[in-house]
Amino acid sequence: MAKADIKPKSIHHAKKWSDDVENLYRFQQAGYRDEFEYKQVKKVDMVECWPETGFVKKLQRRDNTFYYYDKQRECEDKEVHKVKVYVY
Amino acid sequence: MGFFVLFGFVFKVRGPPIAGAFKERPTKPTAFRKFYERGDFPIALEHDTKGNKIAWKVEIEKLDYHYYLPLFFDGLCEMTFPYEFFARQGIHDMLEHGGNKILPVIPQLIIPIKNALSLRNRQVICITLKVLQHLVVSADMVGEALVPYYRQILPVLNIFKNMNGCTEMNNFIYYSLHVQFI
Repeated sequence: MAKADIKPKSIHHAKKWSDDVENLYRFQQAGYRDEFEYKQVKKVDMVECWPETGFVKKLQRRDNTFYYYDKQRECEDKEVHKVKVYVY
Repeated sequence: MGFFVLFGFVFKVRGPPIAGAFKERPTKPTAFRKFYERGDFPIALEHDTKGNKIAWKVEIEKLDYHYYLPLFFDGLCEMTFPYEFFARQGIHDMLEHGGNKILPVIPQLIIPIKNALSLRNRQVICITLKVLQHLVVSADMVGEALVPYYRQILPVLNIFKNMNGCTEMNNFIYYSLHVQFI
């Protein structure tokens, strides 16, 4: 069964920043749990990312407006603990 | 001779009146504010700005930069929320994702930049300088494209360059000299 169809089993808050935490932060800013939910809701295979850093570049929100993100890190240390990490 | 010395002691000669070089100029209504209030910008205005982002109704890649970028730059003169926020963030997003669409628009950005600097407001000047820093790294040859317009941008910066805390201003001036002469 594809991960996109499975609900997460557990959730915890991020403790330390990493590239994955940065991308989770970006997805959650746009109103999604993570990349799996975004692909499921928007029915896309790929997410547009910055080639230099691999961070998410652009997301379409549920109201069909667009969020654009910087090439560099946007999630500050004080925001890291608010990022939710979902375990499948 | 003694009469003139006595005259100088009795009547103090005052210096010239203050020219007002540092005095802030009053702001005028901007085209940015007019378009914003009409809802002409492709940005979601009611959005929650907790994340310090604006939501675009149209993909930035599809925007006409010749039309919208000068309008956003016109908003640099704004000092109050939400105008100042949307202008600044809109410029940031458009420069970050504009690529080769930015260079042809440079000539149209000079008047809004000059107007913003002419206000002589410290906050506006600092924000404009940060925008200029972003502009010159946003695409190739942008710095060089600004050289013919230095005579319009640099004079106001020259007035403030010796003031304390003007790091951005000094950085931009040194960058300008570097691009022009090296």
